[in-house]
Amino acid sequence: MSRAADPSRAGPWLWLGPALLVLGAIYLWPLLDAVRLAFTDATLLRAPTRVSLDAFAAVLSDPALPGILRVTGIFTAASVILLQALGLGIALLVHRGDRRGLPGMAALRALVLAAWVVPGIANGVIWQIVFSEAPFGGLNAVLAVVGLGPVAWLSDPALAMLSAIIANIWQGTAFSMILYYAALKGLDPALQEAAKVDGASALDRFALVTLPQLKGTILAGSVLVTIQTLGTFDSILALTGGGPGQATEVLSLYTYNTVFRGFDLSRGAVLALLLAALSLAAAALYALILRERR
Amino acid sequence: MTGRWGDIATYAALALVALFFLGPLAWLVSLALRTPAEVYQGAAAFIPAHPTGANFVQILSDAAFGQYLWNGVKLSVGGASVATLCAAPAAWAFARLDFAGRAGLLWAILAVQMISPLVILIPLYRYFDALGLLDSHAAVIAVYGAIGIPLTVWLLSAAFARIPRELEEAARLDGHSRLETLVLITLPLAAPALAAAFVLNVVMNWGQFLVPFVLLGSEKSWPISVAIYRFAGSTSASTTQLLAAACLIALLPAIAVFLALQKLLTRALTGGALKG
Repeated sequence: MSRAADPSRAGPWLWLGPALLVLGAIYLWPLLDAVRLAFTDATLLRAPTRVSLDAFAAVLSDPALPGILRVTGIFTAASVILLQALGLGIALLVHRGDRRGLPGMAALRALVLAAWVVPGIANGVIWQIVFSEAPFGGLNAVLAVVGLGPVAWLSDPALAMLSAIIANIWQGTAFSMILYYAALKGLDPALQEAAKVDGASALDRFALVTLPQLKGTILAGSVLVTIQTLGTFDSILALTGGGPGQATEVLSLYTYNTVFRGFDLSRGAVLALLLAALSLAAAALYALILRERR
Repeated sequence: MTGRWGDIATYAALALVALFFLGPLAWLVSLALRTPAEVYQGAAAFIPAHPTGANFVQILSDAAFGQYLWNGVKLSVGGASVATLCAAPAAWAFARLDFAGRAGLLWAILAVQMISPLVILIPLYRYFDALGLLDSHAAVIAVYGAIGIPLTVWLLSAAFARIPRELEEAARLDGHSRLETLVLITLPLAAPALAAAFVLNVVMNWGQFLVPFVLLGSEKSWPISVAIYRFAGSTSASTTQLLAAACLIALLPAIAVFLALQKLLTRALTGGALKG
């Protein structure tokens, strides 16, 4: 056995090298550069000429910003709460079905998962067709059968937000479902049995036995889903394009528009950092929760 | 709520869930099978009177569409290869080697995943522009690889850690070097996890939109996701059945791969996510 052929002798850096090199070149360096650009006056067409805080001032005094943040907040909060509740609900139902040996549970899981792998851009296009107010709009076509509608799913500002949230839930629920399904599988059934013997009702057993055991998973899942939702871009772009007006223009879309439509690189960099800061704050919360659980 | 009534309630609730998740896809299939005239008939033509495959034929016989599909495959598989090849050795080091800053570095790599690709795309666009790499598939593959590395390191280090050390120690006692042990014992045992990570990367890359949308300017280099968005923007009511067919063709490969390997993938995902 030669020492040269002994990988552990080479130290960890040989092993970590490729991953760190790629992440450094394509994530870390551009991230630092984005920070640098935020302090300049660069545009997409012109290199920076001087260092300034103008971009920060421009973003903070931007009259559109409060609206964008409000839209981002509503979209993210509603998505996370509804998607987590639906994911937990489906996991509980499927778990119950499994225990009772009911057929069809695997098929249902597969169906929910199928929506998850639909590309985000296709998700937006599909729901745009479903919500459309034209004759081929699926939802209005169904409503018309029972004599209702047509509903302006995408052209009414408040409804457009609801539509964007529904489309996001359709795609994102699977992640929560798998998380809770796996967590439920890992619970000790003896506790359930003990509570049953003590005469606890199904609701009591859920609230007093199951839910407390899932607390950690729920917290961690909420943070992960929050980060995913903050980054949502393609489905909204294809569904509403951020409209009507700016009714569904979330921070990620606004950042994109600032850079690649408005060509304002420095202001876009500030917005991108704001987006990254929100995600990292959520990530820090996640790390804290995991530490708490240990 | 036990026994048969509970079962009925379970099925009733799950039927609503199924309706929500199946509904949009069913409507898409319905539109894709219609003739242009039937598109205007709404729900009445949910099951078309004269279902037609003409829309699929028209889309698939379009040479440009074939190019988009091939670009999508090339970029997805290329990016997944980069991510897996870079992440596997790193994951092994995290699972098996003791070194200063190990936990901190693993967290740092995970934190990378929290940063939206949008943030890095702004500077990357400038670099690739300066290097003449806008419109280059190699550049997009490298970015896909970087995006996939954190999750892949996470999944694979959990998988390597699950392999019993005793098996490796036994091989060492038999006189095999560390490298031989790695090749003969560890890698074969980790093969299902490696395959799962690779496939998961391919599926995620297939859905990537933002990176190619920003970095690929010319139509002939677009993957299917970008092409669908452009097509959706240019369609009118009279071509909705074609858009529906194109959409189905774009998402079917991802769904098919995912469902075929569902067990493998969910095990890899939850095994990594729910440790402890």
